[in-house]
Amino acid sequence: MNARHESILNHAGSRWLWISVALCAVSLLAYALHSPAVPPNGGTWLGYTLGTIAGLLILWLMFFGIRKRSYSGTSNLRGWLSAHVYLGTALILIALLHAGFQVGWNLHTFFLVLMLLVIFSGFFGVYCYLRYPTLMTRNRESATRSAMLEEIAELDQNALALADGIDPKVHDIVLRSIQNTRLGGGVLAQLRAHDDSDAALAGIRAALQAREKSQATAGGAKSGQTIFAMVDFLASGTNDRQAEALRKLIDLLSRKKALASRVARDIQYQALMEIWLYFHVPLAFATVAALFAHVVSVFFYW
Amino acid sequence: MRWLIRRVLKQGKGAVSYEEDVHFGDVLSIGRAADQAIFLSDIRAALNHARVTALSPGRYTVESLILAGIRVNGELTYSANVGAGAVVEIASTRIVLLDPPRDFEAAVEISTLDKTEQEAAKARRAKPTSLKETWLGKRAPSWILFLLVLGFGLLLPAATHFVPGLGKLLGHAGLPTTASWNPGPLDAAHRFFGDDCKQCHQTPFLTVRDTACTSCHTQMAAHADPARFNLPQLGEARCGSCHQDHLGLNGMVNTDQKLCANCHTDLKTRTQNASELPDARDFGKTHPEFRVRLPAWDTNGRFAPQLTTLTAGLKENSGLKFNHAKHLEPNLNAPSGRRTLTCASCHQPDAGGLAMKPVDFESMCHDCHTLGFDTFAPDRQVPHAKVAEVVYMLDDYYARRALEGGYTEASAPGFVQQRRRPGEAPLSQQQTIEALSWARDKSRQVADSVFTGRACVTCHTVTRPNAAGSTPGTGWQIAPVRVSGIWYGEAKFTHAKHSTMDCKDCHKAAESKSASDLLIPDIANCRQCHAGANGGSKVASTCVDCHRYHQSKTLTLNKL
Repeated sequence: MNARHESILNHAGSRWLWISVALCAVSLLAYALHSPAVPPNGGTWLGYTLGTIAGLLILWLMFFGIRKRSYSGTSNLRGWLSAHVYLGTALILIALLHAGFQVGWNLHTFFLVLMLLVIFSGFFGVYCYLRYPTLMTRNRESATRSAMLEEIAELDQNALALADGIDPKVHDIVLRSIQNTRLGGGVLAQLRAHDDSDAALAGIRAALQAREKSQATAGGAKSGQTIFAMVDFLASGTNDRQAEALRKLIDLLSRKKALASRVARDIQYQALMEIWLYFHVPLAFATVAALFAHVVSVFFYW
Repeated sequence: MRWLIRRVLKQGKGAVSYEEDVHFGDVLSIGRAADQAIFLSDIRAALNHARVTALSPGRYTVESLILAGIRVNGELTYSANVGAGAVVEIASTRIVLLDPPRDFEAAVEISTLDKTEQEAAKARRAKPTSLKETWLGKRAPSWILFLLVLGFGLLLPAATHFVPGLGKLLGHAGLPTTASWNPGPLDAAHRFFGDDCKQCHQTPFLTVRDTACTSCHTQMAAHADPARFNLPQLGEARCGSCHQDHLGLNGMVNTDQKLCANCHTDLKTRTQNASELPDARDFGKTHPEFRVRLPAWDTNGRFAPQLTTLTAGLKENSGLKFNHAKHLEPNLNAPSGRRTLTCASCHQPDAGGLAMKPVDFESMCHDCHTLGFDTFAPDRQVPHAKVAEVVYMLDDYYARRALEGGYTEASAPGFVQQRRRPGEAPLSQQQTIEALSWARDKSRQVADSVFTGRACVTCHTVTRPNAAGSTPGTGWQIAPVRVSGIWYGEAKFTHAKHSTMDCKDCHKAAESKSASDLLIPDIANCRQCHAGANGGSKVASTCVDCHRYHQSKTLTLNKL
């Protein structure tokens, strides 16, 4: 067993890389040797040949969507994905050679652009698949997301109990902090990894530091800013037991915050890893429609 | 104010019981403190969490007393005016505001959420944590894009082929028509109908038929006669085989020599001897020796050139005597002094640059080759190229000299030699008859000498058929002449395109002492510079550089 990690790119000794390189080389060689009397285009014998190969490749690449969902079969999915990636990349060259590098304002070039969009969104997918799983594993630190969520709930309970022992105001702040912890959300929220769990804590910390630095803030808490109220409370001569409990609470909240950020990042990584598929797949179907339209229209007006 | 507080107590197996309580006061306080009207023991509730004020029977204001807010009807809020039926959730307690029954101004129902209900509420409030749970999807966009592309890319344009007028309508609306299928710009000449694909593509899924071309190109000559040759079996020769459009301004003529070579291989066998043409596949490698149109005339004197394969030592008969070598010597002795002739002195290209102008006696030969006939009148000359006129002119000339007198040649009668002065008596009738008789004899004698000795015979072949007998001055015939013209009828050679060459590079005129030397170059001469399509450093010349495909003089394509 090879000690090196096997990814979709070097699967089976990069077998599909070499197959794709060979396919490209043969196509290029044929294109170079082919000297039609007219400018190279899809209508020469080589044009038809490359077009057929490219069309079949597209259909085969689409078949990956079906293969991916079926758990039968003996061949492994990583091999399929490796082939999907490399042959999909080879498709760029084959399609350009098929067209003889001719472009224009027409259905055929629209088809080419769609296909390129699909392929390049796929490139982003490859980048994601290579980058994010490692980051996700490192981020989770061998916990699962549900375990982390459970731990957050537990920390919340403990914090509430602790806060209740200190003062109703602190309890109130902690309660609000729990409510403000937003994990997940809409598409943008997931992609941005924004959780509000740290808002309260950061507020407390900042206020504490500000308090310690200058005792001059005489005005006290402004209405609605309970963080300041809490710090006020802390600063205005509470007894040692309460101060100790408050520090414990901050510790708890810090741990919670770290956990929540990690969950948020986990969600973000997963979203980033998936978001490109929401472009890749619909555009791929549009490409198949364009392939169909391209082939039919070309022979419609033969 | 009287509040009815009804507590719902769950007793397992779905059975519930109610416990009713009355509270007096304007507000209903909710919290974990002991003094609250509704006491909640859950740690998630604040001491003074919220309060409910009854505005009127069935109308309430719910206010949060802490910053975290409370959940009214599922929405987090600080303060809300609500009607009966509103649900307030705090921690694991659900408080439903009710329409007050009789004797009460306000009423609430309190129930505790059990574990499954709490889980459900939590799940309901949970935000999506993966993209799958958001509005994003793959199936619907896939279908929409697939159908849009198919509709606008294929179906709509295809419909314009079948529905007349639809194309124009869609075009005005900015929607795609079959024009969006155009794979490349049309040839310049086809652009005036270019937006109407059907002009050429008449039937869907069939290649463009020749009839589509010949409906406009009515005069286009055919290549060969299908009645004589089994054309379809020889090879594909649709218009579209050689003429492909949508390639822009590159031109529509496919000059690939393979297109010709495919048919012009083994033609004799393949046409069952209908064609005698030897193989022609590549100008540099496989091409027969040229066939030259040798000058010849039929029995009626009409020019009928003989197509003859060019071989070494082939002679021609131009009808002329001419020594090129002599004429190209420097410093020729001409009447006007010393002259050096060049090729261009006699051979000048025609306006189109294709061939040479005919050699013109008057402007090119006459300076040296004068046509004088009488030493007593060196200025007088016989006309060129008009045999009958020569004799008429001589008759007239000598009649005048005879009647005028003063013609001092010894053979003339005395009164003809004698110069007559003004006022002298005219010639007698007898003398006139005698003078004219002499003049006639003299004229015929001179004519014979012009034709046979002095002038014509220098360059021309002069004959006198036996039928004319030996009557002086009659029956002379000049052989027809053809000096310049089209030597290669089945190919086109353009002198203008070869102006960088010297004449002598191809025509060995300086060594030719006889007019019968054929100075037309052979294929080996051309091959010094020209080769087929893949001739390396030589000029790549394909078939259509010299030959015409549409060459029939009698058949047009639309009549086949």
